[in-house]
Amino acid sequence: MTEEMAPDIHSKHFKAVDRALIALMILPILACMVLKIIYTPATEGVHISGALVFYQNDAMPVMPLIISESQVNSWGVMISILGLCLYLTHGLTARAVTKRQLVAEWIVEKCQNLVNENMGDYFSAWGPFVTAIIALSAFSSLICLLGLFSPTGDVNITGGWAILVFFLIMHYKFRGGFWNYFIGLFKPIPVFAPMNLIGEFATPLSMAFRHYGNILSGAVISALMASALGGLSQTVLGWLPGVLGEIPFLRVGLPAILSIYFDVFSGCMQAFIFAMLTMLNVSGAVPWDDWNARKEKRARRKAGAAQQPAA
Amino acid sequence: MEKTFLSVISVNIWNIVIALCNLLILTLIVKKFLYKPVKKVMDSRRAAIDADYAQAKAAREQAEEDRLNYAAAMEAAKQTSDQIIADAARTAEHRGNEIISEAREKANDIRRQAEADALLEKKKAEDDMKREIADVSAQLTGKLLEREINAEDHRSLIDSFLQEIGHDDDK
Repeated sequence: MTEEMAPDIHSKHFKAVDRALIALMILPILACMVLKIIYTPATEGVHISGALVFYQNDAMPVMPLIISESQVNSWGVMISILGLCLYLTHGLTARAVTKRQLVAEWIVEKCQNLVNENMGDYFSAWGPFVTAIIALSAFSSLICLLGLFSPTGDVNITGGWAILVFFLIMHYKFRGGFWNYFIGLFKPIPVFAPMNLIGEFATPLSMAFRHYGNILSGAVISALMASALGGLSQTVLGWLPGVLGEIPFLRVGLPAILSIYFDVFSGCMQAFIFAMLTMLNVSGAVPWDDWNARKEKRARRKAGAAQQPAA
Repeated sequence: MEKTFLSVISVNIWNIVIALCNLLILTLIVKKFLYKPVKKVMDSRRAAIDADYAQAKAAREQAEEDRLNYAAAMEAAKQTSDQIIADAARTAEHRGNEIISEAREKANDIRRQAEADALLEKKKAEDDMKREIADVSAQLTGKLLEREINAEDHRSLIDSFLQEIGHDDDK
């Protein structure tokens, strides 16, 4: 704090901003929970379904616009992440004095190293994108710990991400020229063309379904387990008098242990896998030889054009 | 308001577009609010560290230069002091020799003077002795003359006597 640029981390203003940022992190999630509680219809027993629909507009072209729990929860997570970013980078100094700065630097450094190791130095600007994927995916999955619907359990969400990744892969594949890409589909022999074509679309499809399937199956298994344990409890401990007989005692404990695997571990794992596949697919998509040849050709043509008027 | 759930698998193009945009927006958020400030701070720290290193290096070089200068100055001072001591020794020796030779000369002078004085004294004594002897011989002559001897005997006696004395003196 001897430096002139260092913000006074004990000042009232600094602490007020801190509190506001923490609120920015927590409030969106709370709002999602409130919204869910308000909208959820009273149901009996186990209920396995997709997201809760909040709003539907049938006037949109092609398909009705549906704003469901997945969208709202995604936005909540995004605002929460924004608050987290602002909180972590609040009061940065060249000489790291706060713990949160160490956390922020650790995150940036780790993600950047991950990108540099897996994609090469040419893609070092991809750090934010990969960090965003990991953060959005992991937080979207972990939100189910709060009883909210995981947006990653909706195929549209992971599908949207996978399609974005697909666009990026295509963007890099076309770097070598569309004609080269097209010829590449007929290699090693022309018969492979349909399979190669399917392979191109299989990448985003598999990414989307892997992520979605893992999270949704975890949620389904958790729900089934809870219901099964509830039934078991009623059968085994139903003889207890009065209210005691209605409490599903066997539900205590075991679902939490399962939740550690299906919600926490699987959620983080799938986020990491999705990011990893994104990095590998995008960095592997660049046809370096074709691209370099094309660049060289273009440079030669430019040089030739420059020489033409002179001659 | 109708409260419904979506089915477990339900594809909706708008939701896909929304998810795609969400990821893009979050990328921008992360880039602007996390990466940019953190990288800026890390860069500034690196710059500060580099500056510190450069400063330390400059200081070390300065110290080394000072040390060399000091050593050179010490060497020069030592040479000067050696020179001064050698000069002083030479001057002292020179002066000592001078003093010694002067003293020797003075001593020689004194001795020569003494020899001369002694010689003079000796001559004076010789003369005195001669005069004494002459006196004694005269007296002796008178005594002899009282005896009656002839003149010839008298003269030859004196001469021979004187001859003898002179002869003794020359030896």
